[in-house]
Amino acid sequence: MSTVQRSAVALLVILALATVAIGYVTRGFGAITTDGARRIDLMKSPKSLPDLPLVNSTGRFIRLSALGAPGKLTLVTLFYAHCETICRVGTSGQSYLQNEIRSRGLAGQIRLLTISFDPRRDTAGTLAEYAHRNRADPELWTVATVARPADLQVMLAAFGVVVLPDEWGGYSHNAALFLVDSRGKLAYAYDVNRPDDALADLLEKRQN
Amino acid sequence: MNQRHVDFLPGAALAVVVMLRPLLEATMARHMALEIPLLFLTGWLVSSRIGQRLTKQIAPWNAYGVPALVYASLAGLLWMMPVALDLAVLNPAIGLLKLFTIVLAGVVVGASWREAGLVIQSFFVFNAVSMLVAGGLLYGQAPDQLCSVYLVGQQAIAGDGLIAWALVILAFWFYAVSRDPMIRGDESSSPANIETQTAPP
Repeated sequence: MSTVQRSAVALLVILALATVAIGYVTRGFGAITTDGARRIDLMKSPKSLPDLPLVNSTGRFIRLSALGAPGKLTLVTLFYAHCETICRVGTSGQSYLQNEIRSRGLAGQIRLLTISFDPRRDTAGTLAEYAHRNRADPELWTVATVARPADLQVMLAAFGVVVLPDEWGGYSHNAALFLVDSRGKLAYAYDVNRPDDALADLLEKRQN
Repeated sequence: MNQRHVDFLPGAALAVVVMLRPLLEATMARHMALEIPLLFLTGWLVSSRIGQRLTKQIAPWNAYGVPALVYASLAGLLWMMPVALDLAVLNPAIGLLKLFTIVLAGVVVGASWREAGLVIQSFFVFNAVSMLVAGGLLYGQAPDQLCSVYLVGQQAIAGDGLIAWALVILAFWFYAVSRDPMIRGDESSSPANIETQTAPP
């Protein structure tokens, strides 16, 4: 082989490796962010949630792995009660969804769950106050946190959420509006700013 | 300076960058505009210490340095993606892979640079500059948090850092080109003379 031929082989190997590497991290050239990659992963294969206890604003325990029930979907956001920024978007989204679910008579079919990732500050009392302030209907909208603070990292990893301390003593995190399907599996991550899109998608799925 | 002492330089530089990784990866700007360029330059330093030996070894597979320069461009593209940066921070194995692929890019580019010649060098320099400017503008303008591990407020600084590197590379490039005998039309320094000037002792 001549140098040019050998170099062409080397070039092909490099291009093949780069296509595999870049194709893998971008999920087939479909995402350049981790959130985008997570969306594609969940769409391809819904993910089981770990079996860990949550405690809600009334002090009752819920198992994260047992959110599914026949014919019932759950929309989940993560937040912390002291948040001043993106969790508020998540909260107003959940309020909007609660109103829409009620007015469309979907209360038996779609439930809302808001999970705090600040279990040390967000006690049952704080969560109850938060639920009351946002007029959460306990039948429809559950506000909870991990029952054991030690489970926090497992819970965050399950949703693919990374929480960073921000410059103002709070936390920043890659928020999303998650769909847990009737089998209790994490099935999709919607844009947290567009609960209307999430609702439209669920209504469309219900029709099919 | 004693030659034997100088040979510690690339290894020492690499050790320092690796030890400072937590600090260098603490913000997006430091990760993209400081750690990655330092790793690349360390690789280049390694190749300059090895000298012609490495260039000759890879030469049969590296016509005009094109495979090496394509490799480095693609490695640069990969590690400029937010999803890849997240993985490098969150997953230690991928963090090591990042280290290795970028140092290797510096090594092979260093060993191929002279072989590439002015035209091929120009192509890759302008490719790198346009990639950095495009990435820099994207990071500077994006309203959403692009990396899971970095705050949205850091993106603009990281973007400025990439654009600064593009300008530095361009400035270096114009300086290097202005001194190139081919451009200056300098009869006295023929390519043969350059070879003898730069060949290792």
